[in-house]
Amino acid sequence: MTKPISEPAFIRANEPVGPGLYLMTLEASGIARSIEPGQFVHMRIPAMDDHILRRPFSIYGRSVENGLVEILYQVVGFGSEHMTALSASQSVELIGPIGRPWRPPAAASRTLLVAGGVGSAPLFLLAEKLIAEKREVDVVLGAQTAEALVSRSRYEALLQEPPRCSTDDGSFGFEGFCTPLVKKALVEAESEGRPYGYLAVCGPEPLMRLVANMAAEHDVPCEVSLERRMACGIGACLSCVVKTTSGLKRSCVDGPVFDAREVVW
Amino acid sequence: MVHMAVDLGGLTMRNPVTVASGTFAAGREYGDFVDVASLGAVTTKGVSLHGWEGNATPRIAETPSGMLNSIGLQNPGVEHLKAVDIPWLVEQGAKIIVNVSGHSLGEYVAVIEALEDAPVDAYEINISCPNVDAGGMTIGCHTESVESVVSACRNATNRPMIVKLTPNVTDITEIARAAEASGADALSLINTVLGMAIDAKTRKPLLARVVGGLSGPAVKPIALRMVWECFHAVRIPLLGMGGIVSGEDAIEFLLAGATAVAVGTANFMNPQATIEVIDGMVRYCEEHGVDDVNELIGALKC
Repeated sequence: MTKPISEPAFIRANEPVGPGLYLMTLEASGIARSIEPGQFVHMRIPAMDDHILRRPFSIYGRSVENGLVEILYQVVGFGSEHMTALSASQSVELIGPIGRPWRPPAAASRTLLVAGGVGSAPLFLLAEKLIAEKREVDVVLGAQTAEALVSRSRYEALLQEPPRCSTDDGSFGFEGFCTPLVKKALVEAESEGRPYGYLAVCGPEPLMRLVANMAAEHDVPCEVSLERRMACGIGACLSCVVKTTSGLKRSCVDGPVFDAREVVW
Repeated sequence: MVHMAVDLGGLTMRNPVTVASGTFAAGREYGDFVDVASLGAVTTKGVSLHGWEGNATPRIAETPSGMLNSIGLQNPGVEHLKAVDIPWLVEQGAKIIVNVSGHSLGEYVAVIEALEDAPVDAYEINISCPNVDAGGMTIGCHTESVESVVSACRNATNRPMIVKLTPNVTDITEIARAAEASGADALSLINTVLGMAIDAKTRKPLLARVVGGLSGPAVKPIALRMVWECFHAVRIPLLGMGGIVSGEDAIEFLLAGATAVAVGTANFMNPQATIEVIDGMVRYCEEHGVDDVNELIGALKC
């Protein structure tokens, strides 16, 4: 795996794309070239000196040719709120790529990707990779409302078919959480005699736990992407530890992607 | 060329900059960003005799110009340090300060005894961690327990021994004198300041352990004041730390009386912070006609 680098990154664009959701495009050729699906960057946000810590973000999209990476972020606190005011003339400091990427088994010819909310971001590069490898990819996206399903069209263009969607308020797709869609997909794939060989899930932790349990019931290898409050982001400070069957592991460099069977929820 | 080397109680350092224990692991993770041999020394994360699990998460919280942590000295034990981390540091050519932790007087001594045959350049005795129930700060707050632990450690080694002090006391100079009288070669200060943070919306503490140690630029004025007080209270040299981000911050600590400094939380903000601090100190000396950085120690005009 590539060693992380520290790279200044000019902001190319920073636009609202949904309710409390923003897409930031950054010039970071080194990271764009080396990042693998599931890895993340640790961002130092400018002009925020009294908030001293970096913020971790997964990479939603990248262009190796243009040296660009995209970050899909949700406004959840001071840092992300502050980020929305950054403009194309400014730059941020990035450390990346960091962490253990998604590792779908080589034998998995049919795969299922499940995203809740902005959990759709770290799964998109994985979907691209799986499709490039000629594997079958099914996608389930859940969000609160139709407007919050901001990744839907991007996934649809990649898959050349609509992803299965749910919204909490029923404004698009299935009304309710996305877990019934996941269950349905697992059952259907089995009854078709072509069960999934891999399931990747990212979203709120209760969702990931439920989906990981479903995957286990159906004997489908499953990976989850976990996030903890993080300080250094490079494995030194032991802030972001996760309980696993083999002891505490660091979500930054031993994760963020973990085998679901390893996680002690 | 500015002369940057200093002598910290028998530990010779090529420049006055090391790292605050716990912010740099044993250097390997930072090896992608800095040449650890270019530091005055690497101070490793606190090590105990056997591994410690540390505290529950969340273990950190961001606070104004700083952060709270309650990691709880999670570490894999002294044998792992000897087998894995020390050889790596030796290979890099780094000077090594090992931060020694314990739940009891006997454990501090046992850790030092285990390290005596390893290529360690100095010990830093951690009697100031606020995040463990036994040992740590509970020892460092009272002159009697400071005297007994420091004396016991002194009897276990002839190597340079730095004693790390907590700021969570009424009069740090009392503790500093007790450590000096018990055989410390140098003192490091300050460890983190006990604090807490609350989320008003949820009415919950931001740390699982409720309280933790405050670090970062927010504590720098406290650290400077305590270094200055200790400089006038003891004869042994001081390793100053608390919120150092720039070369100028480090110079301020020297002026207050520190012989060397440690960069801590700034490593999280910027993994190259140590190198930038060293470069900034050299630049300050050049700009102010200082030929030897030692001229600045305690050179505060007041």
